[in-house]
Amino acid sequence: MSTFGAAAANHNPNKSFEVLQPPSDSVSSLSFSPKANILVATSWDNQQVRCWEISRNGTAVASTPKASITHDQPVLCSTWKDDGTTVFSGGCDKQVKMWPLLSGGQPMTVAMHDAPIKEVAWIPEMNLLVTGSWDKTLKYWDTRQPNPVHTQQLPDRCYALTVKYPLMVVGTADRNLIVFNLQNPQTEYKRVVSPLKYQTRCVAAFPDQQGFLVGSIEGRVGVHHLDDGQQNKNFTFKCHRDGSEIYSVNSLNFHPIHHTFATAGSDGAFNFWDKDSKQRLKAMSRCSQPIPCSTFNNDGSIFAYSVFVMTGVRVLKITTHQQQRPTFSCTCLRNLKLKASHELEQVVESEGCFWLEND
Amino acid sequence: MGKKKKRVSSKVWCYYCDREFDDEKILVQHQKAKHFKCHVCHKKLSTAGGMAIHVLQVHKESVTKVPNAKPGRESTDIEIYGMQGIPPDVLAAHYGEDEEEAPSKAAKVDIPSTQLVGGLVPGPLGVGYPPQSTLGAVPPVYSAAVPVPPTGWAVPPRPQPWFPQHPAVSVPPSAPMGYVQQPLFPVQGVRPTLPVVSTSTALQPSQIAPPGLPTSTPPLPVSQPLFPVVNNNVPTQSSPFSTSLPTSVQPSTTAEVKGSIEVHSSVNTSVPGGAGANSHSYASGPNTGGPSIGPPPVIANKAPATQPAVNEVYLVWDDEAMSMEERRMSLAKYQVHDETSQMSSIDAAIDRRILESRLAGRMAF
Repeated sequence: MSTFGAAAANHNPNKSFEVLQPPSDSVSSLSFSPKANILVATSWDNQQVRCWEISRNGTAVASTPKASITHDQPVLCSTWKDDGTTVFSGGCDKQVKMWPLLSGGQPMTVAMHDAPIKEVAWIPEMNLLVTGSWDKTLKYWDTRQPNPVHTQQLPDRCYALTVKYPLMVVGTADRNLIVFNLQNPQTEYKRVVSPLKYQTRCVAAFPDQQGFLVGSIEGRVGVHHLDDGQQNKNFTFKCHRDGSEIYSVNSLNFHPIHHTFATAGSDGAFNFWDKDSKQRLKAMSRCSQPIPCSTFNNDGSIFAYSVFVMTGVRVLKITTHQQQRPTFSCTCLRNLKLKASHELEQVVESEGCFWLEND
Repeated sequence: MGKKKKRVSSKVWCYYCDREFDDEKILVQHQKAKHFKCHVCHKKLSTAGGMAIHVLQVHKESVTKVPNAKPGRESTDIEIYGMQGIPPDVLAAHYGEDEEEAPSKAAKVDIPSTQLVGGLVPGPLGVGYPPQSTLGAVPPVYSAAVPVPPTGWAVPPRPQPWFPQHPAVSVPPSAPMGYVQQPLFPVQGVRPTLPVVSTSTALQPSQIAPPGLPTSTPPLPVSQPLFPVVNNNVPTQSSPFSTSLPTSVQPSTTAEVKGSIEVHSSVNTSVPGGAGANSHSYASGPNTGGPSIGPPPVIANKAPATQPAVNEVYLVWDDEAMSMEERRMSLAKYQVHDETSQMSSIDAAIDRRILESRLAGRMAF
């Protein structure tokens, strides 16, 4: 499947499956359809939005390129509609295009901002699209109308967005995290200054909407609960660091079923963690290049991440890493613990007891 | 969490490695796991001395240094448990590095020098320290590099209520008491007048070590936990410390300016948040290092540039003012040639960065 077999070791140390015909520049976002195993990637090259159908045969994963559309400028974000028929993508051309790819339709512009659109999300319960941009606003769109349903001012540029109805968290440039209750989207529910002392890079809402994760450029992830009574459960931990180099955490994704989460960083590694037991479940080998984005598929059986491989040709690989369910489930966590409890303790402690340091 | 700055000085911290924690229980857990743990059998003891004795008796080996401790703090003789047992000079030095730019409470100094009024000085001292009321948001500052003359300085019983703005004062461990703000004033001149040691309960205000003691760390408390490794930089710090007023001032300013830290100087680019920066400043003097990776990295997605110094810890992406995507967008490669699509809302900072990087020849494209 890979045409770069010789160099595979460097950029694919985890023996992930590589997707055919990847974009020629790095990928800015990945999203899986909520209904099927169709993966969409947006990239910086030719401003393309491409999609593949991912199929699994036993333990192998195959990808078939399906279609693509283009924007005028690099595309930064993408999301699917909840019925799995339409993809929304937005980027530096300050527009969001709606692409009904299952029906083979043409993309239509449905949203506009004054500055590049960094994040987009579909809220099925409200039937609205929300977009966050560097023009310091958040806009809600009904795709049938050209004007936004509501515009929400943000204190600074939007850098990250996550939605888990009715919880929505927006990370802005000045390290603010604005929490919205989507039942009342016109007012900020809460504004929290990031527990991390560095620029916010990504956020992810807990599947149970009790809080969110925030990742920063400083190799640290913060776990923050919204409820005041649960504030003592907040903690931060360090990750994606290598010796004296501190890498940015680029992507945080919750596993849809097990509620463990994965982090992907600029060090080229991705790890799986469990916030409740405060442990790292699995650390994958580092790739030679940063991982700018990653995502799970709808049932959590496939984890896709992108690695920007700079060979002379600058080819990019999107690899889907097959998850063996047992390893990542909560039940297996117990296995890990029982089997090698002293080892695990060692590992955990050698990583700095991340949950103990409340800095 | 907007109160972070003020709170920081009242947090507990580990004597051995200068990390800070929210409460003492966590601190103790940390000490047991990191400093009082037997390296042979991993048993956690309750003190360093206890650990040394255990290793000697059980494994027949002698331990002279506390594991994971900073140089100068490795002695197993000092009996530390949580925040108890920390020598007063070290305590003062630690809090002295906690300074914010606004001078904090006036010292209550018994020291018979200059203008300082001895004894409790519930108000601004003649020295011209800003009135206590300004301290509303500033944690009391300990004199950074000021030796506190041991004489006559009996524990000024700074009554807690004296610090109205500091509810945390009642917290024993750090009881940050009024410390004169050193760094903004020429240390040399004011030195003798500054002293004032916290009368935190554990402290016997006897000796405050001479300024050479800032083995404790980079000025920003924030940076501590990030750098368990930065031990080697500390010694170099002690000298710049007393003279490095500019250095101390910078972090405090940057501490204020969270996000949009435009580069005030090359050092400042590495100072956002302080952490990464401190190593930069130390490595080779205040300005020469600049950000270890030179001007903000070309593209964050690329592998990091080579690191200049082994012991420095640096952020691979340390540009607080822009995100990676914004930076990338500003590259020529992604610019569309007609002006209409220029990103007008991205401010001039981006242009400047492009210029800087181009000049530095670091653009890979």
